[in-house]
Amino acid sequence: MLRYRDPAWSPYVAGALIGLLQVPAFLLMQTALGASSSYVTVSASLAALADPAIAQIDYVARHLSGAKNWWQVALVIGIALGAAISARLGGVRRGAISPVWPRALGAGSPARRFAMAFAGGFIMLFGARIADGCTSGHGISGLAQLSVGSTIAVAAMFAGGIGVAALLRRV
Amino acid sequence: MSIFLAILTGLAMGLVFGFALEKSRVFEPGVIVGQMQMRNFTMLKIFLAAVVSGLVVLAALQGFGYVRLVPKATIYGADIVGGLILGAGIALAGACPGTVLAQIGAGYRDAWATLVGGLLGALVYSYLDPTLAPMVAGGPGRLTFDILFGLPFAVAALVFAAILVGLLVVLEAWRPWRSELGANFDGLRADRAAQQAYVAGRPAPAAGD
Repeated sequence: MLRYRDPAWSPYVAGALIGLLQVPAFLLMQTALGASSSYVTVSASLAALADPAIAQIDYVARHLSGAKNWWQVALVIGIALGAAISARLGGVRRGAISPVWPRALGAGSPARRFAMAFAGGFIMLFGARIADGCTSGHGISGLAQLSVGSTIAVAAMFAGGIGVAALLRRV
Repeated sequence: MSIFLAILTGLAMGLVFGFALEKSRVFEPGVIVGQMQMRNFTMLKIFLAAVVSGLVVLAALQGFGYVRLVPKATIYGADIVGGLILGAGIALAGACPGTVLAQIGAGYRDAWATLVGGLLGALVYSYLDPTLAPMVAGGPGRLTFDILFGLPFAVAALVFAAILVGLLVVLEAWRPWRSELGANFDGLRADRAAQQAYVAGRPAPAAGD
């Protein structure tokens, strides 16, 4: 039984529910689930306020306007809202930083973790944009479409993640 | 579709997406780092379950002619180099580009730093795209396994889905999902000592097995 107030659902049920979102994505938006291109849409839209010339870059122009781009921005904002509702209903008490970080880093101030999070975010999106997709676009959607390139990208993702996680203390 | 309707659709779908990400616990940095250290397989379970249901619904939608698939072009250099860098970032951030938002929604403060870093990373890439994209270009275009094997997509998708279900059954028998939740549903085994040392600013004791 799934209850909204449960702090955790079976990963198989929750995962399958995420995959079912391909139905509205394809039927309503003619696209697949994805997350990382929304970072280009948002950051380039903000940057365009200071540097209008950025819109001259083809890559940026493809991300600035159009229903699909803003659909994805709304999707990731919705993720934050949905997670907030679920967390509130689930009632798990949570600190400002996950306890995994003191374990993975040993000593260190929270400032060190914030710097690491910033760097991690930068590297993550830089890589995702080179690869043209992330865990959602290449992972969930690429594998579900049997894409060879997405399979390669997912394998590389895990290889990179496992390599860097090996440098952290074991959690 | 108008931008307004597209945004409403995105918000509604995102609500479900974020709800499922939170309930599944895959947004927890402890789950993601645990997966990359091969100590917690929750991430792989959710990921493969999402692929399986995606394969089944796309097999039906494409098989009956309701949708056209949109696989990304295969670009070997970009997929490998970008994937490696992305994976490194995932391990450092303890998040994926989508789950960062779930972390923010659930209340992790450092996820805001991940988000700002991500926006900046995407922006720097955007400026460099005219230079970088040609460096990693080259590939066969839209290449999919159903084409490689000469099968209709729906058949190949259902066969792949069945293989993944078998894998998940083995995974669950090996590591039951409830055993990986952790005491506080964060994918971590209870270990107060490390946390207390952190708060007190002392070096943490090494986490034992």
